[in-house]
Amino acid sequence: MNTDERWTGTERRSRELFDASVEGLDAETRSRLNRARQAAVAEVERAHRNPWRMWLPAAAAASVALVAVVLWRMPGDGTDPSAHAPEGAPAAEVVEMLATSGDFDVTSEDPGFYTWLADRGLPAANGTG
Amino acid sequence: MIGSASLVFATLARLADVDAPDPEKTLLDSATSLEKFLAGVERRAFRIAQMAVRDRDDALDIVQGAMLRLARNYGQRPSAEWKPLFYRILYNGIRDCQRRRTVRSRIFGFLPGSFSEDDDVPGDPFERVADPGPDPVRQLMAGEAMQRLEAALARLPTRQQQVFVLRCLEGLDVAETAAAMGCAEGSVKTHYFRALQTLRAKLGEVW
Repeated sequence: MNTDERWTGTERRSRELFDASVEGLDAETRSRLNRARQAAVAEVERAHRNPWRMWLPAAAAASVALVAVVLWRMPGDGTDPSAHAPEGAPAAEVVEMLATSGDFDVTSEDPGFYTWLADRGLPAANGTG
Repeated sequence: MIGSASLVFATLARLADVDAPDPEKTLLDSATSLEKFLAGVERRAFRIAQMAVRDRDDALDIVQGAMLRLARNYGQRPSAEWKPLFYRILYNGIRDCQRRRTVRSRIFGFLPGSFSEDDDVPGDPFERVADPGPDPVRQLMAGEAMQRLEAALARLPTRQQQVFVLRCLEGLDVAETAAAMGCAEGSVKTHYFRALQTLRAKLGEVW
């Protein structure tokens, strides 16, 4: 900072006026500043007594990141389910078709297949051919 | 033999006492130092914030936030570091407040019958009159001179305002001002020189 003799009149006057305006603060403002200061000091004491609280935001962020990574890396998400099925197991769509159709009769739904069977002289599915 | 062993033991015990400070005492010292520091700067910080944002409640919020942030994040740091850190936090708070106001005025500026900053305050003509003191005339003159200074400061570029307030009004040295503003010491000197020149031209040597 400038020493007093190096201060110009503008600097000296500015500082005097500013100091006077600080001294002239009203009681309510002083009181609110005092309360704010007490709250800040209490914060230091709280942080000192519970140092783990300082790491709380970082721990929360790390937990969220960990959960995200686990979910992202978890198998079976967005992949073909048959890729993880045991070898020799029926395809999922076959199982679904069998499960949903109570009366499984290809010939009644596909006349072309019936014609093909007759041409080859093979017995039909109901054993009449 | 026993005597020398007990002497060694006593010396070690004393060294252990020196090396392991009492945590409660450390806490008390830290809290006391911080309270003393904040008590010394809080009113000046409030006036700086008030000059920048021109609103008492906003200025109080800014100072309160700066105090809490200093205590929470830097309370355990050496007290010699607090001053530049505090003013840096304070100016960040001022900047955030000014940005919020800009955004708010842009949003509400489009609405018909939008309010201005002064509209929500009931018009009390005596509210801004200075309290009568022992020498009202002198106080009034000082108040008017301060208003002229504030108006001249408000017309300066932001960095020049900051450097003038921190260097001249707050008495920070060049290195502390540079640390508080996050710039080089050379920039501090340049900004201060320009700010002083402009203020002198606008206000006169002694106004």
